[in-house]
Formats: sequence, structure tokens, C-alpha cells
Amino acid sequence: MMTHQAKTPLKMGIAIPNSKLGMWLFLGTEIMFFTAFIGTYIVLRMGSPGWPTDVHVTHISIAAGGINTFVLILSSYFVVVAHDSILAQKFAKAWQFMLWTLLLGVLFLGIKSYEYTGKFEHDILPGHIPENDKQAMDKVVHQYGNIVDAKLNATYPKITKREDQKTELDADIAKLKGKADATAAEKQELADKTALDRLYTEYVDMKEHVRNSWSLGFPQSLFDQYRTRDESNEEWKKKYDAWKTDHKAEIDAGTLKELKDYLNADGAVAPVTLHEVNDKVEALKNDAALKPMLLSLQPAHPILYGNLFASIYFLMTGFHAIHVIVGLIMFALVLKKGSKLCLDDATFVENIGLYWHFVDLVWIFLFPLIYII
Amino acid sequence: MSDHAHDATHDHEYHSHGKLYFSIFLALCAFTLISIMADLIHIPNRALLVGVVLSVAVCKALCVLLIFMHLKFERTWKYLLLAPTFILAATIPFALTPDIGTHYYVPTAPQIREYEAQEAAKAAGGDSHGHGDSHDAGHKAEAEKHH
Repeated sequence: MMTHQAKTPLKMGIAIPNSKLGMWLFLGTEIMFFTAFIGTYIVLRMGSPGWPTDVHVTHISIAAGGINTFVLILSSYFVVVAHDSILAQKFAKAWQFMLWTLLLGVLFLGIKSYEYTGKFEHDILPGHIPENDKQAMDKVVHQYGNIVDAKLNATYPKITKREDQKTELDADIAKLKGKADATAAEKQELADKTALDRLYTEYVDMKEHVRNSWSLGFPQSLFDQYRTRDESNEEWKKKYDAWKTDHKAEIDAGTLKELKDYLNADGAVAPVTLHEVNDKVEALKNDAALKPMLLSLQPAHPILYGNLFASIYFLMTGFHAIHVIVGLIMFALVLKKGSKLCLDDATFVENIGLYWHFVDLVWIFLFPLIYII
Repeated sequence: MSDHAHDATHDHEYHSHGKLYFSIFLALCAFTLISIMADLIHIPNRALLVGVVLSVAVCKALCVLLIFMHLKFERTWKYLLLAPTFILAATIPFALTPDIGTHYYVPTAPQIREYEAQEAAKAAGGDSHGHGDSHDAGHKAEAEKHH
């Protein structure tokens, strides 16, 4: 390279091919692009005590990340070998090594999509993750509601309102039950509709408890009684306060009689817990009649900062994966030349090599930052 | 580089960098293993773990930049071209840090309150009612057992 300037007449600018200068300028902008993400991540992370690091919670696979790191390093090595081979005029060897690079890039994307699939399966997606117990319970109810809606809509596609669908369902069940000489198909229909009715009833039960934040053990039949307890009535209040200090004390004859067993020392219903809700989900999923309808219902576990984590994970690894895809297109373009590959392609191969090394470079930082720390 | 290649093939045989490249490849593999080992041996000191894996990442990045991307062999233009990008890149975290690191106010993000409640429950003996951390810890332990 030193001999270059001596031989050619004085040339303005930098003594490298324009395309290579262009590539380096582009990589300069890329450095700023990725460090903006990485820097933001580090700052957010440092300001978030309790960030999820347990791989069982985040479903991060260090093995997959480690293998992908090796895959990219190997592919980077193959690119320099390919470039070296072109300069040494071993074009077939160069072509082969670029093919290996392309295949390794595809393997990288394959492992990446396997990881993404796991994230989708566990619903580790931005905006989908409950960050506290209340949100986790709401998520279970929301999931359950979607299942009930889907089942009711499939059974009664012409009726739009959930309440009307339920009325129709009750009518159908009553009709089928009244049949003395029911056929096998009708018996099956009765079983299916009874199960759907239970699915609905269990859903409403869970939803009402979670909405009021009352323990699942507190029967729905007592909700109104509890709501209408008359604390403004002085006489009632006195008896109620006496009961609160001593549970054996006599309270109002009518209003609190049945309620008494469900109230704690403060005179309030025990709050619903995530533990209760998740246990209920497991119980429903083990119910023979409901099982087939509740396959997609999952217990929910809160992940503090889970949404921020998922956003950052998908933003950084997603943009990196897009860069890998662009790199693969570049390699495919040069591989298309086949046996026509010649010394004139050396600059192009060096440029896409620079780009590919940069993609590797980004991963070198993403791997420890996302997978290990 | 094509000019260089042209010169090389006409004036003298091209000297392959194959050996250098291969040793760099081995170094990169070794560095990756160090990172994974650092994770596997569960370094109790978090700052040390972060220090180790990020130092390793910087070493790997230097290997790739200097040798694979030939920066070691390039002329002065590399400083002119790369210095501004590195300065601007470093500016972003520095510009954002005050909001997280040196604010005068007490942060009240719901996550921070949740975390403090969990920590308080843990300190109180872990038999929390409202917050699910004890349950969550059980869930984690269970998951670990399955592994």
C-alpha cells in the first residue's frame, strides 16, 4: 500500500478505494446507532434496582447465546480467510469460505429464531408481562376471558353479546336435559354445552373475585350481603365493632350471619392472592371436562421490569438480526458470481467483510450485556 | 485494497495473513470461553462479573477491529474517521446518566416501590401476604429443580 502513492500521480483524499471509505463512514454511523441502544440499556439498567437476571424468569438461554457467539466468530474468521484467498488468487477457496460464512449466518438466524419462539411461547413480549401480583391476576383473567369469548363465539356465531350467548346456552342445556330419548349426538352436545357453561361460570367467578380483590374462597353468593352491610347505622356499627374485637360476639341477626366466617379481624374479606389464582388455574386445567378448552391458559408470574427488558431485548437483538440478514444478501450477491470471482472483487469482499465484522462486533457486546449480566 | 492486491501480485508474491488470522480466531474463542466460565462459576461479586465480561468484550472487540478489520494496518485516516463517532457514541450514556444517577428527587416508579416492598417482605421473614415474592421464589426454586 505504501508503494501505491509513489507510483501514481498525486491524488486528492485518502489513499483507499472510495467504496471502502464509504463503508467505513457508514460503519461510523452504525457505531453511533448501536451504542445509542447499548448506552440507553446500560443507563436504564443501572437505574432499575431489581432488574430480572434469573434466566428461569427471563427465559434467556446462555447456551444458545454462547453458540451464536461462536458461530459469528467462526463466520468472521471465514470472511478474512476468504478475503485473504482472493488476494492470493485462490478464488475457488475464497468462494467456498464465503459460502460457509453465509451458511453460518443462516445458522445464527436459526438459533435466534429458536430463542424468539421461546420468548413468544412464554409471552415474554413488551406490554404482555405483568410486573406485580395484581397485574398477573388481571392477565390470567384477561386470558381466560379471551378463551371464553372464543368458545362462545364458536358455539353461537350469530349472537354478539356475551350475556345473550349465555342465555341461549342455558336455554339449550335445559332443552337437551328435558329430552327423554336423546340420541348419542344430543348427549354429546349436552356434555359439551354443560362444560362450556361451567367454563363460563368459573370465569365469571374468578373475574368477580379479582375485580373486587376478594379471596377466591369468599362465595359469590355473599358478595351483595357484604356490599350492603350497613356501617352507617349506629346500632349496627356498635355490634360490628364488638364483633371485630371478639369474633364470638353477636352481630346483626340478618346481615352478617353467613358473612362472619369469611371476614378477618379488620372486618374485611381477605384479599385475593396470585397464589390462589394460579392454583385455581392449575385445578381448572386438571379438570377432565374443562382441560381441552383451557390448554392455552397459563398461570402468570410477575417479572419486575419485564416489559422494559423485553423491549430492549427485541430492539437490540432484532436490529442486529436485520443487519445479519442484510449481510447475508451481500454474500449471496458475491457468491452468485461463482467461478467468475476475480481479483477485482477483492474490494467488494473486503467491504462486506468489514460490515460482517461489525455485525460480529455488535454481538460481542450484546452477548455479555444481555445474556450474562 | 485492490490496488494493493494488484501491486502485490505483480511485484512479489502475496503474503498470506492466514496464520495471524487463525491465532486471532483462537483468541476470540478463548475469550468467549472466559465469558461463559465467568457466568458458570457464579461469581458472587456482581461488579467483578460485570468487570470481567466487559473487559473480555473490549479485548474481543479490539481483536476484531485491529486485525480482522485491518485497522492496525491502516493509515492516519482511521483516527480522523473514527474519533468523532466514538466521542458521540460515548456522549449518549453520559448525557442520560444524570437522570438516573444524580437526580435530586426520589424516584417513584411503580417498579421501584414494588421492589422496595418485596425487599421489606424478604427482610421481615418472607411470609408476605399481598406480594408474591415468597411464592415467586418458590417458583424459581422449582424451575431450578427441573433443570
